[in-house]
Amino acid sequence: MNYDFTDKEFTLFIDIHTLISQWAKENNLENSDAELSEHQIRQALSQLSKTIYLTLAMEKSGKSDKYNGLLTLMGAMEVIGAISPSLLLSVETSTRIFGRILSTWGSDAQKADLLAPLIDGQLIGAVGLSEDAMNVENDVLMTTGTIDGEVATVSGQKQYVINAPMADWFAVAGTVDGKNALFLVQKDTPGLSIGKKIATMGYQGAAISKIMLSECKIPATQVIYPQKAEQLLGTLKLWENQVLIGASLGLMKAAFESARDYAKTHKTGGKPIIAYQKIGFKLSEMLTLFQTSQLFAYKAAWSADADPKDLESLTLCAKVFCTEAAEQVTAKAMRILGGAGFVSGNTVEQSFRCAEYGLFAGTSTEISRVKIGDNALGAMK
Amino acid sequence: MDFSFTKEQLMFKKEIIRFAKKEIVPRVQEHDLKKQFDFEAFKKLGEFGILGLHFPEEFGGSGADVITTVLAGEALGEAGVDGGLTLAYGAHTFLCADTIFSHGTDAQRKKYIPKLASGEWIGCMGLTEPNAGSDVASMTTSADKKGDKYVLNGSKIFITNGPIADVSVVYAKTAPEKKHAGISAFIVEKGTPGFSSGPNLIKMGVSTSQTSELFFNNCEIPAENLLGNEGEGFNMSLQTVEWDRSALLAPFVGAATYMMNRCVDYAKNREQFGRKIGQFQAMKQKIANIRIFGEAARNLVYRIAWCKDQGRPMNHLEAAVAKLFVGDWSLAPSNDAVVLFGGYGYCHEYDMERIFRDSRLAPIGGGTSDIQKMIISKLM
Repeated sequence: MNYDFTDKEFTLFIDIHTLISQWAKENNLENSDAELSEHQIRQALSQLSKTIYLTLAMEKSGKSDKYNGLLTLMGAMEVIGAISPSLLLSVETSTRIFGRILSTWGSDAQKADLLAPLIDGQLIGAVGLSEDAMNVENDVLMTTGTIDGEVATVSGQKQYVINAPMADWFAVAGTVDGKNALFLVQKDTPGLSIGKKIATMGYQGAAISKIMLSECKIPATQVIYPQKAEQLLGTLKLWENQVLIGASLGLMKAAFESARDYAKTHKTGGKPIIAYQKIGFKLSEMLTLFQTSQLFAYKAAWSADADPKDLESLTLCAKVFCTEAAEQVTAKAMRILGGAGFVSGNTVEQSFRCAEYGLFAGTSTEISRVKIGDNALGAMK
Repeated sequence: MDFSFTKEQLMFKKEIIRFAKKEIVPRVQEHDLKKQFDFEAFKKLGEFGILGLHFPEEFGGSGADVITTVLAGEALGEAGVDGGLTLAYGAHTFLCADTIFSHGTDAQRKKYIPKLASGEWIGCMGLTEPNAGSDVASMTTSADKKGDKYVLNGSKIFITNGPIADVSVVYAKTAPEKKHAGISAFIVEKGTPGFSSGPNLIKMGVSTSQTSELFFNNCEIPAENLLGNEGEGFNMSLQTVEWDRSALLAPFVGAATYMMNRCVDYAKNREQFGRKIGQFQAMKQKIANIRIFGEAARNLVYRIAWCKDQGRPMNHLEAAVAKLFVGDWSLAPSNDAVVLFGGYGYCHEYDMERIFRDSRLAPIGGGTSDIQKMIISKLM
């Protein structure tokens, strides 16, 4: 047992913070301008590629062997998420979801052509999963592909695709002959159209839109048939949940630290408001939720690498706890800041708006609890 | 980071669960109903080696590390041992025996630890007073040195094992003007003239543990019964906090697993509206909530234990976080468990109501949740 990150991991976290934090302060990464977002994400990826960050938790990436895989990534996500939640969502969707599709199931050629530039920070990926009629992962995917010789023709529609307006490549989940598959589609492929960036409550700097595929033709070699295809959606949700857990840590860190600093400097009745028990106690509850979430997230991440037999259920437990804790911590931070927190654009207000996303994205907390219950109850459904 | 236990630790945990299910759990409900201490079960804990697990073998222990010791506490909770017995074990082993072991002379260790480790003697700790709970420094129990004796006067309250203890570690002021620095610790044996205990206090939960007042009326004890030096008592009491935030919280973590397993069994068998109730999402949610709490609490408790094994000075903030979380967040899942069992959950025949009552102690004993919040807010 060991509850410490290694010196090497701490150094990585500091390096990432140094690379990103000042630059983030000079650029509004939570802006809603899609073109500006793309420019900033490409800059951020380029910066992050100077560290080991983009290779963490990637299968057989080699470069990150001396790190602790997903556990290190969880600590690093917390750092980036606290600086900019939108940046984290974009980078992680590209790297850890699109990238892990390639690193886990991609061919050698796909790894060479797409994964290598991705982890060098030169390519942005997006993943099309959610569909209008697909609210939970048990529903059948309506996006389909047909294979005719060396060509695959794909049709369908995806919603809430993170990075869609800026992505170079898409991995689109669908079916071929009733079996789950992933279609790798380049951005300028005829038949692929990208919707406008949608306005969102939180994560405003992340470019999210619909994508439509209308008889979109791609080489058949760009169709990925995952091993254990029936587990495709579950695996994608697992990865998404892991990102949302990391994002929640970042939101809590940012909100807690902002509220704590405010409480130490803002005076009422001649003394800092932290001196009042109602404020001090609220901060104590926030820190308790934050620290408990950290350990929960690290444990779930550790289990992915070291003890995966209960990975899905434990990750869902961590996802429920961390995302709900983020909602509570950011709401309490808003109360501490009072009117100052209600002003648009401050860290706490942004974290508060983003926290809501974690509750329904990935596997929603409601469905998560059902699945955790199912897991405990065994075969009985 | 590494969250794994060794194979030996996991095997030991299984052994304790097996032992407790066979030897202790069948006796729990009867003793809880009668609010009686289970002397036989306590003795069996001693025979199994749990009461002195972390003490060196020469003192009747097994030399276990803190993680293993905490695992034992979790295992007792997971097996279904009641909070009263695990509290008695905690007060005995960590608040009394460990204080003697950590701060006593060789003679004191040799005299007391083997008998406490075996369960032949029962120990308690007297710290809290009627008007000195969270505010320890305001205690008024005094210890005046007269020649080669100390004379104790005053009273203590809410003392776990008070009515049944053979040995007490008692905190009293040797220099009242020095507040915290004037507190000293003493060993007081049962039967010492001027020392008596009150009747068992009837409590909401942890009913099998015996709790009482302790009275000191010109109670003379040998000066050699002083633990450490005069004025070191407050720091000794603080050092018990490490155990309080790990080994004493561990049974609550284990109890969460026990509750979840019991709820799963019940939900798989109980039928309503023609279906097993486990098929309803509302029941799955309750089971999920219990599991989530248990997983979250476990990490906090073992973090404290691991740090203690590393020999690190206690991080009071992390310890307070662990206590606050287990204290305040354990209430909802134990409530969920009662509600899942419905009317049966409200009846003593099913032990969910006992666990619900036992869990009410978590935000109070060993420093209330409000005190933990005070500590955290001061340290952040």
